[in-house]
Amino acid sequence: MRMSEILIKNANVCDPAQGINCETMDLCIRDGKIVESVSESAKVIDAAGRLTMAGGFDGHTHSAGKINVGRFMNPNDARRTLVPGLSGPEAMTEKTRAQVGYNTPNTYAIGYRYAKLGYTTICEAAIPMLAARHTHEEFKEIPILDKMGLSLFGSNWQVMEYIRDKEPEKLAAYVAWGLKASRGYGVKIVNAGGGEAWGWGKNVSGLYDPVPNFDVTPAEILMGLAEANEKLQLPHSVHVHCNNLGKPGNYETTIETMKMFEKVKPVVDRQALHVTHVQFNAYAGTSWRDFETGAPMVADYLNGANHLTFDLGQVIFGPAVTMTADGPVEYANSRMLHEKWSNQDIELEDASGVVPLSYSPKSFINAVQWAIGIELALLVEDPWKIMFTTDSPNGGSFVNYPEAFTYLMSAKKREQVISGFGKMALDRMVLPGLDRELSFYELAIMTRSMQSKMYSRPEKGNLKVGSDADVAIYDIITSDIDPSVEHEKVKQAFSGAAYTLKDGKVVVKDGKIEATPMGRTYWVNAKVPADIDSAMNKDTDIKFKKYYTVSKSNYMVEDSYLPNPVEISTEGEF
Amino acid sequence: MQVVKFSLKKANKIPIEADTVTPDNFAGKTKEEIEAILVWYGNGQCPLGDFFTVEVEGSDSAENTKIVFEGDVSRVKRIGQGMSTGEIEINGNVDMHCGFGMKGGKIVINGDADSWLGCEMKGGEIILNGSAAYYVGSGYRGEACGMRGGKITINGNARDYLGEHMCGGEILVTGNVGLLPAVSNNGGTIVIEGNATMPASEMKNGTVIIKGKISDMLPSYKEDGTEEVEGITYRKFVGDVNAGGKGMLLVK
Repeated sequence: MRMSEILIKNANVCDPAQGINCETMDLCIRDGKIVESVSESAKVIDAAGRLTMAGGFDGHTHSAGKINVGRFMNPNDARRTLVPGLSGPEAMTEKTRAQVGYNTPNTYAIGYRYAKLGYTTICEAAIPMLAARHTHEEFKEIPILDKMGLSLFGSNWQVMEYIRDKEPEKLAAYVAWGLKASRGYGVKIVNAGGGEAWGWGKNVSGLYDPVPNFDVTPAEILMGLAEANEKLQLPHSVHVHCNNLGKPGNYETTIETMKMFEKVKPVVDRQALHVTHVQFNAYAGTSWRDFETGAPMVADYLNGANHLTFDLGQVIFGPAVTMTADGPVEYANSRMLHEKWSNQDIELEDASGVVPLSYSPKSFINAVQWAIGIELALLVEDPWKIMFTTDSPNGGSFVNYPEAFTYLMSAKKREQVISGFGKMALDRMVLPGLDRELSFYELAIMTRSMQSKMYSRPEKGNLKVGSDADVAIYDIITSDIDPSVEHEKVKQAFSGAAYTLKDGKVVVKDGKIEATPMGRTYWVNAKVPADIDSAMNKDTDIKFKKYYTVSKSNYMVEDSYLPNPVEISTEGEF
Repeated sequence: MQVVKFSLKKANKIPIEADTVTPDNFAGKTKEEIEAILVWYGNGQCPLGDFFTVEVEGSDSAENTKIVFEGDVSRVKRIGQGMSTGEIEINGNVDMHCGFGMKGGKIVINGDADSWLGCEMKGGEIILNGSAAYYVGSGYRGEACGMRGGKITINGNARDYLGEHMCGGEILVTGNVGLLPAVSNNGGTIVIEGNATMPASEMKNGTVIIKGKISDMLPSYKEDGTEEVEGITYRKFVGDVNAGGKGMLLVK
């Protein structure tokens, strides 16, 4: 086979993984990988001194699975054209299929639009194992991007029983089996125990509130799964959506959860805990009347802690669709907002809900929520702990990332937005007092570099020799631009990459889709000793016989659902 | 004054999506220019001249432009979509989505209209001298707001879901309406001179007046004295209680 070689000349490279901060150099690509040098026959792309980063990596996004419930609940979303070029109906072209939607775009649009933003990898934030086949069916139809997904374990009967019965080895075996069954990449825990409680119309109120009928607490579930996660040497840490999400005063539970993980020793070189969409979990006050930001307290703790990472869950003003396995939260949302509500029971595994809503700068609660995300990003000193997300589409659609970047990079832009807030909102936030402005280097860390270590994907999120040739070139000359003032230019440049390369292939040029190759799907196969595995299987056989609506053999996602799989094998330590 | 006259060359089976047929779009244009304007036909776009004989008299601004359809256009959709001024007269039946999202101007239909007449209308006036099908002045699937302003007068009957999700404006029906008029509305006024079935369910706000008979009056309304409108005294009901609504339903 002929080698495909590309030379990107005059790239203004910003690659924090190598400590390269906007230095002009050449990048060499051969057969989809970054290499030292290429031959003279290489195809040349002239970056002309423009900002060049590794392909973006969205490590927490709802892009396959529950989003489909969002689609059929919001047919009007198909018409929304709020972000020109990245939303609304677009007819098919020779290279692309038809696109619709804003918060809940069709699968093709998800692939194209992420690629236009210079993103090349996404991680679906929640796979209910029972519905994993559907998640992979959607993955199959998301072009360009590499994908992975996190499987839900936080309210699972088998998990809670093993924790109650103190059987950590069988628990680890079950987690390994669950990841294989659902072709998942990591362990997601949503409101530990709350999904089961919701089956009885209840919720858990904190870390030490026992789950009905199981006699385990959320704290025990979290610790038990963290232990199993490390026993299996999984590439990602447990990925936790804390208890009490969306409730005033919840920052205390959040910090308590983070503290609890100080004693977890990661066996892989990565964090021991990832706390997701912390904006929704950094609320102070005792009710919606005296609701205020809890970001300073959370950030204070994070600044002194080195065992965890987190992502923002930044709010974007305008329509959004909340979708989460946190069933009770969605019920509360729908009642409070008088909104449409979808509720699902994932049998023995979890709950789930979908509620559309709209964030308005006129609502003091929404204004403070908006501020909390930015406050977290600015108050936490070390960007390597922070992943940028909107928890798309919970805080807002990912197509607004360029807009949100300007919130982080420009105090002027923030002032512009803040000037529309009422006095009550201003009293409840600390954002107006913050003048920190993030650099392109720090932004690159939050949008691609930190994900590499966080998910143990050394070939992603950086431009080292040997890494995947996923490259984004943005129409920005870093030496000529002051992002603090020229935030509109920054937004525009990030909205449509000059080039996006996926595995060394040009997929976006001048903000237009050029090619739509199929991405990979990563999943983790953790090895477990045969005797423990068969003991665990005996237990799950009973579960399937007695309770599940599907048989075990029909439960497993087969190979044919992953057209381009990458199996990550790990050896469990038993 | 500019008058643009259309007559269909041959009855079409596949619908024509004529959302480009508005006074805003035709003002000051010649016959040839108008004939060249594209409309969707099936999965492709064709010029208007393929389907219609076009006559143009005079040339003027959009507000002084009148479009006249001679004869039946019951397979031509979206006539007057989004129009802001001027006038359209249709001398025959018309297909769905006539006056969709119109902001101003006037549409007169001397025939029947298919579903979604004046849906999501923001201003202007529609006069229908015939009967309407479903979803008059309502919202598109999933939208919280349908009609927000303007007036629709129906000198005939209308079928189900009249004024669904209506948030403003006015609808007057001189005849009868079908099931669930004013369902989930949140503003505006609907006057039905004939009969209605299960009116105003989930109404949060707005006024519904029914002069004829009501079948299956919903139990989720509280009677609250009487109200006089234009010299007529009605029984006044407030609700829909189920939706925490403060809407006013006036019946005889």
